[in-house]
Amino acid sequence: MSCRDYQHQITLLLYDELPESSRVELETHLQSCPNCHDAYESEKAMHSVLAEDAARWSDIPSDLLVESRKGLADKLDRIERNRSRWRLPAFSVVFTPMRLLESVALIAMGLALGVYVSNQRQVIPQVAGNPAQDQISVIPRNGTISNLQVVSADPVTGQVELAGEISQPLRFQGKMEDDTVRSLLFSALRDANNPGSRLKAVEMLAQKPTDESIEEALINALIYDHDAGVRMRAMEGLQRFADEQHVRAAFMHTLENDTDAGIRVKAIDALMARNSRDVELAKSLEAVTKKDDNPYIRSKGLEFVGTAK
Amino acid sequence: MEAILKRTAQRVHESDDEKLLIEQAQNGDREAFEQLVRRHDRDILRLAFHMLGNREEAREVFQETFLKAYRSLSRFRFESSFYTWVYRIATNVSLDHLRKRQTLKEEISYESDTEMNPDRPALKETLAATTYYSNPERRLYGKEVGEKIREALKTLSEKERLVFELRHYQGLRLKMIGEIMGSTEETAKNYLFRATQKLRAYLTHV
Ligand SMILES: [Zn+2]
Repeated sequence: MSCRDYQHQITLLLYDELPESSRVELETHLQSCPNCHDAYESEKAMHSVLAEDAARWSDIPSDLLVESRKGLADKLDRIERNRSRWRLPAFSVVFTPMRLLESVALIAMGLALGVYVSNQRQVIPQVAGNPAQDQISVIPRNGTISNLQVVSADPVTGQVELAGEISQPLRFQGKMEDDTVRSLLFSALRDANNPGSRLKAVEMLAQKPTDESIEEALINALIYDHDAGVRMRAMEGLQRFADEQHVRAAFMHTLENDTDAGIRVKAIDALMARNSRDVELAKSLEAVTKKDDNPYIRSKGLEFVGTAK
Repeated sequence: MEAILKRTAQRVHESDDEKLLIEQAQNGDREAFEQLVRRHDRDILRLAFHMLGNREEAREVFQETFLKAYRSLSRFRFESSFYTWVYRIATNVSLDHLRKRQTLKEEISYESDTEMNPDRPALKETLAATTYYSNPERRLYGKEVGEKIREALKTLSEKERLVFELRHYQGLRLKMIGEIMGSTEETAKNYLFRATQKLRAYLTHV
């Protein structure tokens, strides 16, 4: 191999992408060839400068992650809303039985939940030529139809296109840790029309924030939910984790954007209780609380800056 | 770097149930789709944030990437991993944004060219003072170096930029980068080599 070939391999060596045998050969050559050795040293030096640059970029700001996720969720919501309203085939039935979560009692200890299995809209395709009765049979016994919409109706052919939702009671028992219980609760959190059901779900989750996925669900509820009660419960479930990066970012977001002063107060209290020595945080808190129209929050902000110093 | 290694290890574990999630998402299961997103969205955001260099555009690229994935998920055929597939979308969207920005800049004026004027201290000196010949134990990184590196990255062709980005800043292996580009590991190697050559030329001759 020529020196040129060896110098080609230096880059790969520095990126740990050189196969073992070539690596040994290259290292041997570097010991005996001053030219290649120089090239290696200079490339290594550049590599370390670039590596420091990469290290600077390796962490993404957690509030940016929160914002980006929220933006995406909003857009997906919009797409889904349009789809469920307008893109349904004739006589299809759409399942969103989340409503039932509210109507069936949620007994705390046994965790008997009246929910269904996933909050997705399963579109049942129409089999060509089937009489309507067959389609009706897809509605489960004790299922009910709600939110019926006439998508289109043709008086000449008698063809109609309907869309609606089927709700069906179901019970599920299990431990909080069970994946099914969890996905039931997570699904309930998305039931946009039903704050009562979301509130119960958040209460259950807040009792036992054991892991990242629950934390994430609570953060979502805290930031996205339109109902102040739901946001408040989520806040309560999260407050003891106020020293964790993502929770902190979420609380800062709340402090800056939540319209409910009670929730903002909780946010600043939790941030202060868990991060009393964080000067950086104190600074951004000061900037945010300065503009707050609530005097308690403004004074808390000042107090925090004082204690952090 | 350790974090990157950990993520890689985690990914292998996750690939088993990933297939199931993808199938559920393909059947319109939004929950499954969001779980898929959550597995990879930090990596995608890191890519977008570094490629574009600002929060605004990073967020746009992030959202555009996953919306595209959402819309075209039904066409996903398991010929690659989901991760590779999403990365491919993300790199395309990122490059699109950079291209748009480039056109915009050219249309506006030559003014930005003055930025490139050799009035500033040559990077060669900066590098010399910081790393090349000094004690490697010291923290060597200055803000100015960071800016120079960003300028240097602009001299790369799209493919060079892409490979360098994925290998150096995102820590992906060349084999996977080849897959993301719809090409081979060998090709990725060549681009990485050319990219480092160009960067070195720029960083030592400015
Ligand atoms: Zn040699």
